[in-house]
Amino acid sequence: MILIKCPYCGQRDQSEFANGGEAHVIRPKNPESLSDKDWGEYVFYRNNPKGIFYERWVHSHGCKKWFNAVRNTSTDQILKVYKVNEKRPDLSDFENTLKSPSGEPLVGSGNFAVKK
Amino acid sequence: MSAINNKCEYISKKQIKIIFDGKTYEAYEGDTIASALLRNNIRLVGRSFKYHRPRGIYTCGIEEPNALVQIISEHNEPNTRATIKRVYDGMEITSQNRWPSLRYDLGAINNILSPIFSAGFYYKTFMGPKGFWKNLYEPLIRRSAGLGKPPKNFRSKSTHQYHNTDVVIIGAGLSGLAAAKKFINTKYKVLLIEQDSYLGGVLKNSNKVKTINDLTPQEWINETEELILNSKNINILKNTLVTTYNFTNHLIALEDKFAGKKIDLNKSELTLHKIRTSNTIIANGHIERFISFRNNDLPGVMLASSFEKYIHRYGVVPEKEPVIFTNNSSSLSLLKTLISLGCKPKAYVDSRKKDNIETEIKKILKDKEIQFFSDAEIEGCDGNKKVETITIRQGKSFTKLKSSMLCVSGGYNPDIHLFTQSKGLVKWDKNILSFKPDTPFQKTITLGSTSGNYSFKKLCDEINEKLSIFKTKKVSLDINLNVPNKFSIKELWETKKKSNSNWSKSFIDLHNDVTTKDLKQAITEGFDRIEHLKRYTTNSMGTDQGKISSINSLAIVSKMLKKEISEVGTTTYRPPYAPLSFAAIAGRSTYEFYDPERKTSIHSWHLKNNAVFEDVGQWKRPWYFKASENETMHQAVQRESKMLRENAGILDGSTLGKIEIKGRDALEFMNLMYTNAFSKMKPMTSRYAMMLGEDGMIKDDGIICKISDQHFIATTTSSGAPKVLADMEEYLQTEWPHLQVYLNSITEQFSTFNISGPKTREIMMKVFPDIDFSNDAFPFMTFKNFDYKETKIRIMRASFTGELGYEIYIPPKFGLELWEEIFSCGKEFNLIPYGTETMHLLRAEKGYIVIGQETDGTVTPIDLNYNWMIGKNKKDFIGKRSLSRPDTSREDRKQLVGLSPINKKDIIEEGQHIVELNELPKKIINPIKYLGHVSSGYHSPNLNHSIGLAMIRGGKNLLGQKFFVTATGKTKNIPVEIVNPVFIDPENKRLTS
Repeated sequence: MILIKCPYCGQRDQSEFANGGEAHVIRPKNPESLSDKDWGEYVFYRNNPKGIFYERWVHSHGCKKWFNAVRNTSTDQILKVYKVNEKRPDLSDFENTLKSPSGEPLVGSGNFAVKK
Repeated sequence: MSAINNKCEYISKKQIKIIFDGKTYEAYEGDTIASALLRNNIRLVGRSFKYHRPRGIYTCGIEEPNALVQIISEHNEPNTRATIKRVYDGMEITSQNRWPSLRYDLGAINNILSPIFSAGFYYKTFMGPKGFWKNLYEPLIRRSAGLGKPPKNFRSKSTHQYHNTDVVIIGAGLSGLAAAKKFINTKYKVLLIEQDSYLGGVLKNSNKVKTINDLTPQEWINETEELILNSKNINILKNTLVTTYNFTNHLIALEDKFAGKKIDLNKSELTLHKIRTSNTIIANGHIERFISFRNNDLPGVMLASSFEKYIHRYGVVPEKEPVIFTNNSSSLSLLKTLISLGCKPKAYVDSRKKDNIETEIKKILKDKEIQFFSDAEIEGCDGNKKVETITIRQGKSFTKLKSSMLCVSGGYNPDIHLFTQSKGLVKWDKNILSFKPDTPFQKTITLGSTSGNYSFKKLCDEINEKLSIFKTKKVSLDINLNVPNKFSIKELWETKKKSNSNWSKSFIDLHNDVTTKDLKQAITEGFDRIEHLKRYTTNSMGTDQGKISSINSLAIVSKMLKKEISEVGTTTYRPPYAPLSFAAIAGRSTYEFYDPERKTSIHSWHLKNNAVFEDVGQWKRPWYFKASENETMHQAVQRESKMLRENAGILDGSTLGKIEIKGRDALEFMNLMYTNAFSKMKPMTSRYAMMLGEDGMIKDDGIICKISDQHFIATTTSSGAPKVLADMEEYLQTEWPHLQVYLNSITEQFSTFNISGPKTREIMMKVFPDIDFSNDAFPFMTFKNFDYKETKIRIMRASFTGELGYEIYIPPKFGLELWEEIFSCGKEFNLIPYGTETMHLLRAEKGYIVIGQETDGTVTPIDLNYNWMIGKNKKDFIGKRSLSRPDTSREDRKQLVGLSPINKKDIIEEGQHIVELNELPKKIINPIKYLGHVSSGYHSPNLNHSIGLAMIRGGKNLLGQKFFVTATGKTKNIPVEIVNPVFIDPENKRLTS
């Protein structure tokens, strides 16, 4: 269970939060003007990268505020949290953070070792 | 025969009595079950998992694979490790997995049949015919394989405790204590966790260390413990086992509050510690591993360091004349211990070459005239339910010795479980022939033998160096040893058998009865990846997780595959480190504390009037009311439904979600959230509305009351309320922060009663004589506020039954009083209370949908023919754009229709399929064309036949056509006609009467 720093309340246990999927997906201002394909992409398509990911969280068992976080999906480290109205941090800000294949030990799994 | 070590200080000399398999034995306070049994010369303690082979005590700790027992006196706790569990006076224990008795076990037939029970036996054998697995094989296997019996009654027995610390030290042995010393009187908040009830670890389990800083080990432990206890920043948890190492240094540890004491049923016997720490220091030592040889599972075979631990820690010498078999230098310690107690080992078998064996060992063996076999190994041992003879191979010659115990040491593995759970990387160390910690993934430090450092002399430097980041004082450890400081070992995992008999076994996993032959067979069959091999053979998948054997199996497999061990890799170590009972995890969240129950203000009245309750979310709602003791649910619901349409009924609707929406932009917000158009709606009127997802599918419905453009009240389904509020809040915060709107959950601020039926108006006029309920003054879908006694109420004209109906909102404090008032006024009109089941039946007669019954997340308002609810002129609302997507506007989507049976006696069941065939074929070869499903099915007492609501492909265009509905347990289908889903009062005359 990871720790998450709510920008309003401070560091709390993950169980107090709910994840809201990818961040910075803005609801189109004028849905009727969109093609079926474009609207479909807004509704159904999300990124799911291994590595740096911008995502939404809500402090659902706390202040109930939504905020954004930058998480490395392979190490589960939360690298930054920021309020909804704050600027999206640049990807280059996180170049020097810990890189791990997926948190898996090199010899942690037989398959992994043999595949190498 | 066993003997007593009178020098042991850790065991009190207070005699107590324990009962094992019905017989009473004497033990000492402080004994574990295992040490007490060994004290009484009991070697046979259980039967093995698969072959029912006789098994004894193999180790002296958490790693025990064999000696699992059932504690009768502790509500039948099964699979307890006899090597850990402390005894107390009157403790009652039984052995496991044997019938009729431990000595004569009928299941042992499996051992004779063993050549057929090889790796993958179950997968290969119990394949068919169909149904045999469920009805024959599984019950049979479950009875004969397995361990203890589960306790019959569950009781809540643990509490949870939370910690936030700077440093956690796991293990209070030599390394752990020395590390703790560095934190004495510093700014760091430290938790020192020890699994045993004493501090000291290796210092108490062996005589390897002579002195530390010129003190005896015991004096040094006492001095250190006192310093720690006097230091305010360090807490010690004894009898506590760290089982789990999660992300962000989150540890879980289980404390046994009653170690060695009789359990007090009124107290919690376990504490589950949930610990957040900045740094973790792992110093929980090493675990000795065994060597595979023929019959290496016979009672009497024991790990050498465990044998020594029984002598030092529990004061019992399991056998005065054992044979010692080793491949490394550490067994000198056991040899010296036995000599010092006047015992003389029968023989010393060392697989190392004579030149590589320490001179001190050779000198002792010569002086004491102990048989010495160098460059030799144990071929196997034999005996009836115990070790009787031991065969030693030296070169080409074999020697048979008579002895009842064999102490084995195959080397030591650093205890890397917790380190790998923390996702640290490990690497193979050729000097100790084991994996040791390499790169940590979190803030984790390993010390002492856990880090692969087997040198006592280097320990002090290691601690000072690795803990230098904390910038505390250096510790000094001047250690004098009884044994050589240098660790020497020769690779040996399995010894060669004399003959290749199908019945002779050398085990690699004692817990799950896996032999070295099974490993070979699995590889031959193509399971050459270690993770596959593990699952196919069940190697190291027992509750001991192969603590004494998993590295051995990796080594044997790597040899067979002709690969380096580092290439083969380890299997994944997963929490918990040792079994953790569900009761410990559940803590206090059991029974009524598991999930809160929400009750309405009328609950006590419901109880008095024989309501049967239904769970809706966390709410308790009356399902139906029993008019008499013998009335069935069907009878009650039929009665309630008929009475309501004839007279009147009242439903406790307090559970209905209610959200207040206020603010400058409330109107704009509501227009965006719901499908309906609210702009032209007059104040103090209400409207049935729907909320969609962005995909156009229905999420929730409810009645929206408009007080003004700046003030709305939305009702939601009983279980959907929290989600609807959260969704509204999400859109306000993330998409439309410019809207000035405030939301408030007011579900529990009001008790809500839904009263409906043709006589409702007369009842209402009697309860509220001052209010004009005429159609003109109080039309359908309007609401008004009134003063009532010392409070205020809101009455809305609405109905979910299709009859004339009103909803009354009143603060819960006055709810019950008004409810009773309504009943006393309604008596002359035959007013009845009704429950949710009748509500569902009546709304189905009227063709009203229920969220989650007609809808399932794939249904749009168009599919329900509710186009009138969609504010088409609105520029935007959630999900609007999706309603015109090609897939959402398809003509052949499943659409809502009514079903009426052609033969009026037939019953339409909920969940059944709608097909074109009047009869199902006996054997279904080709898929049968599926048209849809019955979403609601009831017997209507008002129509006197069964009715159904169904979702059918292209249903809107099928009115009047005949189809068939499948029926439970029958191949003959029921002929039905597709009809309008509104069965009662399609003109809404009753609603607006």
